[in-house]
Amino acid sequence: MLTSLYVEGNSWFHRLPVRAKLIALLLLSLSLFATQSLYLLAPAFLLCGWLYFSLGLTLRQAVARVGFVFFTILVLAAVNLFLLPLPEVAALVLRLMALVFFAAAVTATTTISAFMDEITILLKPLERMGLLNAADVSLALGLVLRFVPDIFARYEAIREAHRARGLPIRPLTIIGPLIILTLKDADTIAAAIDARGFRRQ
Amino acid sequence: MNTRDLVLIALFAAIVVVLGLIPPITLGFIPVPITAQSMGVMLAGCIIGAKRGALAFLLFVLLVAIGLPVLSGGRGGLAVLAGPSGGFILGWAVAAYVTGLIAERFIHEGQPESRQFGGFFLASVVGGIVVLYAIGVPWLSAVTGTPLLAAATGSLAFIPGDLLKAAIATLAARAVYAGYPLLPVRA
Repeated sequence: MLTSLYVEGNSWFHRLPVRAKLIALLLLSLSLFATQSLYLLAPAFLLCGWLYFSLGLTLRQAVARVGFVFFTILVLAAVNLFLLPLPEVAALVLRLMALVFFAAAVTATTTISAFMDEITILLKPLERMGLLNAADVSLALGLVLRFVPDIFARYEAIREAHRARGLPIRPLTIIGPLIILTLKDADTIAAAIDARGFRRQ
Repeated sequence: MNTRDLVLIALFAAIVVVLGLIPPITLGFIPVPITAQSMGVMLAGCIIGAKRGALAFLLFVLLVAIGLPVLSGGRGGLAVLAGPSGGFILGWAVAAYVTGLIAERFIHEGQPESRQFGGFFLASVVGGIVVLYAIGVPWLSAVTGTPLLAAATGSLAFIPGDLLKAAIATLAARAVYAGYPLLPVRA
């Protein structure tokens, strides 16, 4: 149900360590926002676009992933045309689209486990300060992945129950039971986690 | 934080994911279809309170960032965060926190029902609309260069839909509060 947006592949960008990619994304966004020059932004846009489309995604997949974000960018650009001079609008659009291409490229070439390893490292300082427990974050993430299919099945059951009684399917009559039924499981799940001694406290 | 709170946070994040899988509801009198997921912020604050609600949304944003297609319509990944509406997504945790603070402050057991409805609605509107737009709109304006005033005026178009969402979230939150109250047990 929740398949990650990672795409199998062995391009040079796939092989780059996550940290390098994330730092590159950060530096790219900082430098793109620092410049207004179309002579820098247009090549950056083409380069990021080329990078994204060379990752092994099919064209349709590739377009579907960034399509919605591009749609918003273009709508806002259309509004901007009335308010700002044309070169400025072009710079804004190229900059954002370059960033979105690069960000989508990082997402498509990084596995969830690679991200999680990096996040665990990033959380270490917070852990040392006693603010949180890095293991808890992975545990919570695992719980989400584990329970989404269950909760979706519950949603379908409630929807079927509505149909069987001839009731219209309204968000209100679905959300209430869905949340109560789901959160009522919290005690048993928590007991199961503690019984296995996952959190050692 | 005890294990139960951790589980509640994870389960709520999972509920928000599922709300994104539910097909959007179209209502006759509003042109934009309503995605159940966008009520998640209001529901999180009103149902599991400020701290846990905010953590549930931090977890949810983490899911988006590591490339799971958890946003409604199967979207996700860093591209969405880099786009114009990234500020709204990052603002969810703060919005859920404020919603929760107001709900915790105003909702008590043994109040007349109408007071509780009023409290949940106030929390949903202030947290889920005012705070969220206060973060999302300036962000959008900064990223896309659209002047702040124009961006703010444009977002007014979404306010009627948002008020409707707040009303639905209020009724749902009150139903959960009556059936399985979690708000009073503060994390």
